[in-house]
Amino acid sequence: MRKLAYVVGGVAAGGVAALLTLGGHPPYAQQANTVADSIVAPVLSASDTGSLKGPRQPIFFRHDIHAGQYKIQCQYCHYSVAVSSEPGIPSVQTCMGCHLVIGGSDSSHQTEIKKLRQAWNEKKPVEWVRVHYLARHAHFPHQRHIKALGPTACATCHGDVQRMPQVFKVNKVDNMGFCITCHIERKVSRDCSVCHY
Amino acid sequence: MTEESKPTIDRRRFLTVLGASSGGAIALSGCSTGQVEKLIPYLVQSEDQVPGVATWYSSTCTECSTGCGLHVRTREGRAVKLEGNPEHPVNQGKLCSRGQAGLQGLYNPGRLKGPMARAANGQFQEITWDDAIARLAGKLGPAGNKVAVISGAGRGTFSDLLSDWVRALGGRLARYEAFASEPLRAANRQVFGLDQIAAHDFGRAKYIVSFGTDFLDTGLASIEHARGFARSHGFSERDVAKMVYLAPRMDLTGLNADQWHPIKPGSEAALALAMANLLLTERGARGEGAALRGALSAFTPEAAAQETGLPVATIQQLAREFGAARPSLAVAGGAGSQHAGATEVCAAVNILNYVAGNIGETVRFGADLDTSDGYGALQPLLAALDAGQVDVALVHEANPAYTLPRTSGFAAKFQKAGFKVSTSMYLDETSALCDLLLPQHHALERWDDLRPRAGVHSLMQPVMEPVFNTMATGDLLLRTAKAMGGTLAGFNASSYKDHLQARWQGLAATRKETDFAAFWHGALQRGGVFTDPPAAPRVSLAPRGGQVRYTKPVFEGDGPFVFATYAHSLLHDGRGANKPWLLENADPVTKITWHSWVEVHPDTARKLDVRDGEILRLTSPHGSIEAPVFVYQGIHPDVVAVPLGLGHTEYGSYARGRGVNALDLLGAPAGDFLPYISTRVSVEKTGDYKSLASIAGNSRQLGRGIAEAMSLDAAKKGLTVEQAYLAEGHGKHEINTELELEAIKGWSERQIQDTKDGNYTGDHPRWGMAIDLAKCTGCQACVTACYAENNIPTVGETEIGKGREMTWIRIERYWEGGEEPGQPVTAHFVPMLCQHCSNAPCEPVCPVYAAYHTPDGLNGQVYNRCVGTRYCANNCPYKVRYFNWYKYNQVAWPEPLHLQLNPDVTVRARGVMEKCTFCIQRIRGAQNDARLENRVMRDGDVVTACAQACPSDAIVFGDVNDPASRVARLHQDHRGYRVLEDLNTRSAITYLAKVLLPAEA
Repeated sequence: MRKLAYVVGGVAAGGVAALLTLGGHPPYAQQANTVADSIVAPVLSASDTGSLKGPRQPIFFRHDIHAGQYKIQCQYCHYSVAVSSEPGIPSVQTCMGCHLVIGGSDSSHQTEIKKLRQAWNEKKPVEWVRVHYLARHAHFPHQRHIKALGPTACATCHGDVQRMPQVFKVNKVDNMGFCITCHIERKVSRDCSVCHY
Repeated sequence: MTEESKPTIDRRRFLTVLGASSGGAIALSGCSTGQVEKLIPYLVQSEDQVPGVATWYSSTCTECSTGCGLHVRTREGRAVKLEGNPEHPVNQGKLCSRGQAGLQGLYNPGRLKGPMARAANGQFQEITWDDAIARLAGKLGPAGNKVAVISGAGRGTFSDLLSDWVRALGGRLARYEAFASEPLRAANRQVFGLDQIAAHDFGRAKYIVSFGTDFLDTGLASIEHARGFARSHGFSERDVAKMVYLAPRMDLTGLNADQWHPIKPGSEAALALAMANLLLTERGARGEGAALRGALSAFTPEAAAQETGLPVATIQQLAREFGAARPSLAVAGGAGSQHAGATEVCAAVNILNYVAGNIGETVRFGADLDTSDGYGALQPLLAALDAGQVDVALVHEANPAYTLPRTSGFAAKFQKAGFKVSTSMYLDETSALCDLLLPQHHALERWDDLRPRAGVHSLMQPVMEPVFNTMATGDLLLRTAKAMGGTLAGFNASSYKDHLQARWQGLAATRKETDFAAFWHGALQRGGVFTDPPAAPRVSLAPRGGQVRYTKPVFEGDGPFVFATYAHSLLHDGRGANKPWLLENADPVTKITWHSWVEVHPDTARKLDVRDGEILRLTSPHGSIEAPVFVYQGIHPDVVAVPLGLGHTEYGSYARGRGVNALDLLGAPAGDFLPYISTRVSVEKTGDYKSLASIAGNSRQLGRGIAEAMSLDAAKKGLTVEQAYLAEGHGKHEINTELELEAIKGWSERQIQDTKDGNYTGDHPRWGMAIDLAKCTGCQACVTACYAENNIPTVGETEIGKGREMTWIRIERYWEGGEEPGQPVTAHFVPMLCQHCSNAPCEPVCPVYAAYHTPDGLNGQVYNRCVGTRYCANNCPYKVRYFNWYKYNQVAWPEPLHLQLNPDVTVRARGVMEKCTFCIQRIRGAQNDARLENRVMRDGDVVTACAQACPSDAIVFGDVNDPASRVARLHQDHRGYRVLEDLNTRSAITYLAKVLLPAEA
């Protein structure tokens, strides 16, 4: 039975009523299970960032502060990873849910948060640079993998993002060998048509 | 999304977001991952959208006046597929090709991108909506009551608003549609005094006679009819209804008939009245019937035989059989039988149904199907235009400059209006004549409702942001009223949606619903409010209803052939000609795509010395057209026929200049309806030749047993196809010799041994399909569904001419009989798709293992592994593998048509073999869902696109390994057989043989 949506306001897509806090809990109250008890994100000066791995993003968003130090669960922002093949890139509104209030502890943080607030005020979404690609002829259902490996299994493919000031590609996720190795180890399907169709 | 927040994201940004977040559905380059790609999030996340998960909305189809319910599948904020709404009483979950192709109307490259006005230099220039409304109001003010509106909108809140609006201005309004069933309505008025169109219950009929009505395909409510027809005519242990088709030309309905009698054009009424007369005489009439009997006594079978060219005995037999079956059903009407005497035919059929006692049984008044007023209603308006009495003319959802014959002089008369306005989404023939273009939203982009029949209030809601800068015409009317004030001051709703809701508040009040919000949201989710139709009125003959007439047909001109045109199965009255799916999908009768043709009987073709593809020039008193010949046994030797719908001069790049317009041969006589069969033509050879862009292979089975059939008697006895064959006295059909069987046995044992290695063992499903040929009508809704679901490119006329069509599923049409003079010709349809053989010939020949066998029994095709040797296609005995010869992915979806692509399916590039995958994306999706819900798969979890669309439910899909599944049970059916079984392919598709009724039922 398909669940039918209906249009509440004027036009279906791009609704305004996204929730400010998902599940009603403040983010810092949620504990990430596998996170080591304390990760303290390093203080980085602007000159340090040039040597960081991974592509430079329009906003210097630090996963190590959000997911590491403050232990915000991956799924707080990547909300659809457990129900969809797409993990979901958080809307600017999700960021503003906290950063309406949180302005940053030092000037380098404040600069970046200002960029976010500017994007929100100008109504221009942030154009993130993509780090992990998958070829278009391969289908990767995120939800199946989260179901099988648990909600904190993101690191299996994406590496220890909780310690990354800037996200970079750890594993060759766009290489079929990477998938197959794991599928062999775990004795799960190696049928081509599971992913290629 | 509320009005205030609308500007948070503009359209361009919105589409960009879709591109990134949809996981790359949009075809760029195949394997490259090197380019920098942006991930652009929503600014504000819509609460009902999850990236990667489809959101479904209910809506209503507006492609014809039937008013079927839709379920619209959207992904990341764009519609990607249209399916039927199972809760909707009209179509019950099914949708025809034309309805499904509504998606290509939404994303049509020929859509107008915003309001435009004709500048001083005669060219159209883009303007703003404020400017456009000011211009319209500025012209309407001084025009006073000299306003004329032509509207093809279906019955609903909008059409009510429009008529109030026009009335407030004091103007004229004509509800016009090309195929408006005017003769049916007129005959119901005349015979029963009821100004409405009745519903027909084919499911209960035990004997069906169609007087040239294409009720399964182009007629009103064809989906509902196909469903009913499958129930009564499909095989069951109970009675199987017989269907007889009486018309000069066999259309798709005729091909599904058990008998076809090619009667002379225009003689249907004589036959129907003779049948009614015979029925009355045999039964002995009392009361009202006695009076009727007097009126009918002149219509003897002998006279009917004279008129129709049928033997008297046949007419007597028809009447006897029709009277014996209760209830029976006779139907008339439709463009394909619309000659000057069409009203007489419909009246005669009304009498026949009345005499047989079918009124109230299989003919249900009270349903009051919606049709426009049609040609007759347009006449006074055209006269006013011609007399210069119109200052402002507005055309909405109609294209009279195309759908009226050139001889009507529409363009010249229309040009006399001072200011011409169109709300068409496309630059069609009519809007090209206009001064102001105010393109409306597509039906999937706007709020609206329809009342296609009594008891059905069907809602539409915007399922996505508008693709272009268009405006719902309801809002246009309200905003214009606001700008003008005066007599229009009463139209003060702030938006059309408010107006619609206010009307629905009235509906809620009559239904005693107290919580309007709950009522409204419930209706939106279900697709509308559906109540039982009001009780059928008591139907009796009108005072002069029994005074039936038959006028001998007269055709204009003195050519040797009567010229017949008919509604194109897919292009309808021409509105489908801008949608590539409908052009590429073959006509179900001739299997011709993309162009016009002229149907000629083989005897006539012999006399004229023409063959398939030779171009003939047909000349009537009104004009001449040229089209290639299609030699067709299903047409009367004195008739030549050309379909309507092509030969556009505008209407976008797909339609313009393609084929010929059959209306060019017709006159436009005054009257209530336009007679489509009204002229005689002379025929001459031009000496030119055009290869028909046909997807038909050999049209004869040549004893291959592809489309099997058995007699009703054999089917009732439970015989298998082979037993039935033997029972008919044929010799044993040797499928394999002993030696072959031994070899096959050894070979297959080794195969089974091989499967023990690797991951082929274990508890896997075996996906399979059952197709009931007794139900399949050959309508091709499955084909369009497959195009939509699987991102199949349309390749165009030239490529089809080279045999490069891409139809993963196609309907094969084989002729049976008709090889000797006097032998009747019939058609057998077989949907042909990848058979997913257990022992597949394609797999072992692939040098790179791109064609391989999946553990769940599919013939997998790994596109990224395929190197294009085409060995597999060479080795496939079913010809169901299609090679991507050219960069179809770069030409088949010009912007914004690419937005229709299904993100779940890879868009194939050049050099790749592709084929039916049993909708593997749906299988994997259902497996993912089941896994998330911690359950095993259930029967019915996976429905392939073709099975979902099939109006007669002929296709059933499921796991054959699950003995409780529907498909597993159908695989055990005694009528079951596999195509080319002797090749030992062990296919996963079991066909259930068609059941043939004896000539004497």
